[in-house]
Amino acid sequence: MTSLTRQSVPARHAGADAYPGPRQGPRAPRSQGVPHAGPQAHGPVRPPSVPDRKDFGQVSARPVLTVIVLGAAAVIGLWWYSAPAVRGLGGWLTGAGEILGLLAGYGVVVLVALMARLPPLERGIGTDQLARWHAMGGRYVVSVIVAHGLLIVWGYAVQAHTTVVSESATLLTQYPDVLMATVAGFLLLGVGIVSMRAVRRRLRYDTWYYLHLYTYLAIALAFSHQFAVGQSFINNLAARFWWSAMYLTVAVLVLWYRVAVPLRAFARHGYTVIGVKSEGPGVISVYIGGKHLDELAAEPGQFFRWRFLTRALWWSSHPYSLSAAPGTDVLRITVKDIGDHSRALSRLRPGTRVIAEGPYGAFTAGPPGRGVLLLAGGVGITPLRAMFSTLPGPVTLIYRASREQDIVFRDELDAIAAARGATVYYLVGSRAEIGGDPLSPKMLRSLVPGLEQQEAYVCGPSGMISAAVRALRAAGVPRRQIHFESFEF
Amino acid sequence: MTGGARPGRLRHAEPVMGTVVSFDVPAWAGPALEDAVRWLHWVDATFSPYRDDSDVSRFGRGSLTLAECAPELAEVLAACADVGARSGGYFTTTPGGRFDPSGYVKGWAIERAAAMLTAAGSAEHSVNGGGDIQCVGDHGPGQPWRVGIADPLRPGCLALVVAGRDFAVATSGVAERGPHIINPHTGRPASGLASVTVVGARLAAADAYATAAFAMGPGARDWLESLDGYEAFAITPDGATWQTTAFRAYLG
Amino acid sequence: MRRVILAVTGTIAGLVALLSFKSHAPSLSAAATSGTGAGSSSSSSSSSVPGEFPTGSQAASLSAGETALTGQVADTVYGPVQVQLILRNTKIIKVAVLQQPTNTIHDIQIGEFAFPELISETLKAQSAKIDTVSGASYTSQGYIQSLQSALDHGR
Repeated sequence: MTSLTRQSVPARHAGADAYPGPRQGPRAPRSQGVPHAGPQAHGPVRPPSVPDRKDFGQVSARPVLTVIVLGAAAVIGLWWYSAPAVRGLGGWLTGAGEILGLLAGYGVVVLVALMARLPPLERGIGTDQLARWHAMGGRYVVSVIVAHGLLIVWGYAVQAHTTVVSESATLLTQYPDVLMATVAGFLLLGVGIVSMRAVRRRLRYDTWYYLHLYTYLAIALAFSHQFAVGQSFINNLAARFWWSAMYLTVAVLVLWYRVAVPLRAFARHGYTVIGVKSEGPGVISVYIGGKHLDELAAEPGQFFRWRFLTRALWWSSHPYSLSAAPGTDVLRITVKDIGDHSRALSRLRPGTRVIAEGPYGAFTAGPPGRGVLLLAGGVGITPLRAMFSTLPGPVTLIYRASREQDIVFRDELDAIAAARGATVYYLVGSRAEIGGDPLSPKMLRSLVPGLEQQEAYVCGPSGMISAAVRALRAAGVPRRQIHFESFEF
Repeated sequence: MTGGARPGRLRHAEPVMGTVVSFDVPAWAGPALEDAVRWLHWVDATFSPYRDDSDVSRFGRGSLTLAECAPELAEVLAACADVGARSGGYFTTTPGGRFDPSGYVKGWAIERAAAMLTAAGSAEHSVNGGGDIQCVGDHGPGQPWRVGIADPLRPGCLALVVAGRDFAVATSGVAERGPHIINPHTGRPASGLASVTVVGARLAAADAYATAAFAMGPGARDWLESLDGYEAFAITPDGATWQTTAFRAYLG
Repeated sequence: MRRVILAVTGTIAGLVALLSFKSHAPSLSAAATSGTGAGSSSSSSSSSVPGEFPTGSQAASLSAGETALTGQVADTVYGPVQVQLILRNTKIIKVAVLQQPTNTIHDIQIGEFAFPELISETLKAQSAKIDTVSGASYTSQGYIQSLQSALDHGR
C-alpha cells in the first residue's frame, strides 16, 4: 500500500470549501484524564514543552448545557410567578406569547454568550461546537421570536375585542418600545435568513459577518419593550434587576473578550508580519513575529483570528490555524489561495501589524501514550501539520488530496517523518481514479496497525470528515478516540 | 386623622366607642370639636359594656346602684324603656341577656355631640358615628346634606342617597361583624332584613327605631309606618327594597 | 429534521402544560384596599401610561376643590380592579383606576369596555354627590376601607 505514498496521478481539484480557510475550533478530546502512570495510561504523558492545558479553566459541554437549561427553567418560573390565571382564548394566546417572549429574551443572551470567546468555553467545548450550538439555537430563537410576535398580537386582539389588524396598529403606534422591538424582530429574522446555508454560500464571508453584527442592534432595540409591556417585569423590580444584570454581564464579557483582550494582546505581543512564503501553487505561509509568545501557551492544532492592519484587510478578521508548532517569537499560518482574503495575504509586506486573537481551539494533543493517527483532507493538513511535529509517540499521518499539487508541506512532512520515525501516506487522486474511497475501513486498518488503540485526529472539509469518521468507526475505533474539527461555522 | 374638606370646613375622624366618628364642622370650630370629642370619650368610658369599669358594666353586675352611676344613665334608661314600649319589646337594653343599652347610647351620644357644636355657634355640621348621622343646618348655602346609604349586599356601593337639613339618618343592618342584632323574642340573630334606615329629626330616636326595626324583620314595615316624624327604607336579603310612604320626601 | 420536530413539539407541549396549569389557578383574590382607603394603591406602576384612564395614586394630583371617592376592590376576570372617582364640587370630572391587574395599555384597552359599565352604575347610585355615608356600624378597622373614610380624608 505504500505505493500510494508517492502517487502522483493528477486529479481534479479537491472540492475546497468556499471560505478562505475559516475554520471552527475543534472538538475537545473526549478523554481528559488526570495523568497517571501505566503503559496503557489514558492520562497524558506530555513532552515538557507543551504546557498542560488542563491547568487553565475549561468546562465541558454537559455542565454548560445544564446551566443553559436551568436558566430557561428559571425564566419560565418567572413567568409562572407573575402570570394571572389564564382564561379564554385570549388568555391562552397571550400567555403563550409571553412565555415565548421571555424565552427569546433569555435565548439571545445565551446565543451571544456562546460567541463571546469565553476561554473556558473555547477550550473546553471548542469553537466549532459552540458555533454549531449557536446556529441551532439561533434558528430556534428566531422562530420563537416570530411566534411570540404573532401570538401576542392575536391574543391582545382577542382580549381587547378588536381585529388583529387594528390591534397591530395599536401596538405599533401606542407603544414606542414595541415598534422598536418589531424592527428588532425583523432584523433578527433577516439575519436568520442570511445565515441559512443556501443564502450564506452566496455571500462573501465578510459580508455575511457584518450583516450578522446587526443582531447586536436588534437586541438593543428589543430590550426596553421587555420591561415596558412585559407582564413579568412590570411590578417586579427584582426581576428587572436580575434580567438587566444578565444582559449587562454578557455585554461586558463580549466587550472584554472580543475587544479588550485582543487589543491588550496586540499591545503586549506586538504581532508583526515577518514574511510570506509560497508553499506551492496557491498556497502560502505567513510568518508572524511577536514578543512574549510563550505567554500565549498556544498549542499545535489551535488557531488564531487574524486581523491584518492593511487598508484592504483591517476590517476583516479571519481564523487560520497554526501550521507549525508555535515558536517563542514566531507563528506560522498556511493559507490556501481561494478568496479575496487569502489572495490579499500573499501581498502582505513585512512589518505589517496584526491583531491576533487567540489561541482558540480545543483540537490539540490529547492523551498520547498510545499511537496517534492524523487524517488530513485538503487544507485540513494545516493544524495537523503542527501537531505532526510535536506529538510524542508513534504517529501516522494520512494526507488525502485530490491532486498532487494540492499537497502542501510535502518536504516538511517527509522531513518530520524521517526525523521521528513516523509514517506519512499521501492518498492522492479522485475517487474515480483510485476506484473507490481510499478512506475505507479496510484501507485504514491496513495502513495503520493497531488502529483500534489509536487516537485519531481528523481535519478537513465536512464531507471528508463524515466519511472518515464513519470509516474509523467501522474499522473499530471507539468514538471517544476520534477527534475532529469541522470547517463550517 | 384630619383631612381637608370644603374651604372653610374642617373634617375630623375620631376612633371611639369601637368605631370611628366623623365630623364635618366649620373651620373655626376646632375648640368646640375638641369638646365634643372629649364628650364622646367620656360616653365610651361610662357606657361601654366592653369595659369592666364602666358604669354600665358595673351597674349590670350590680356593683353600682342607679343613683351611684352618672345621671345620664338614668336618662338613657328612661328613653330606652320608652322606645322598648313603643316597639313592642323589640328594642331592649338586654339583648341576649346582658345589660347593654348601646342601641340607644351611640345615637344619643352623637346627637348630644352635634348639640354641643350647635351650642358653640355652628349652624352647619354633621357628626357620623359609625354610620349613624346627625346633620345640622345646610351643607353649604341652600344645599341639603346628602347622605349615601351603603348597600349591604354590595360593599363599597351605595343603595340610595337621601337629602335633608337638620335631620338624622340611622342604619341598622348586617355589617362587617356579621349579624349582631339579636331578636329579643327568639334570642337569635335578626335576619329578616339586610338593612333598615330610619330618617327623622333626632338621631337617638332614629338609631333606636332602626335597631328595633331590624330586630323585627319584615314586620317592621307596618311599625315604622306608624311612627310619627320618622320614615324608613329597608333592603331585604334578596335585594328588594321597601320604604315608608313619606320617605319619598328625603330622596336626594 | 428530527431535531426540528423535537424542538417544535417540545415547545408546544411545554406551552400547553404551563398554560393549562395556570388556567386552573384561582385568580388573584381581591386584595384588601390599602390602609389609606382613599389613598394610593400599592400595586400601581410608576410609569405614566397613556390612555383615557390615568392610573396610580391620585393624591398628588388633586387640586383644590377636588375630592376623590374610592370604591372597594372588585375581583374581575383579569384580576383586582379598584376605581376612584375624582370630583370637583360634587361633579365627577375623572375616573381613576387605582388597581388594575397590570398597568399596561393592554389592560386599559380591556378596561375601556369594562369600566364604562362600572362608571354608569356608580353614577346611577349618585355616589358622586354625597357628603357622608350611613350604613351598618363599622369597626375602626372597617372604617378604613369605607367610603366614609374617603370622604373624611378629602383625597
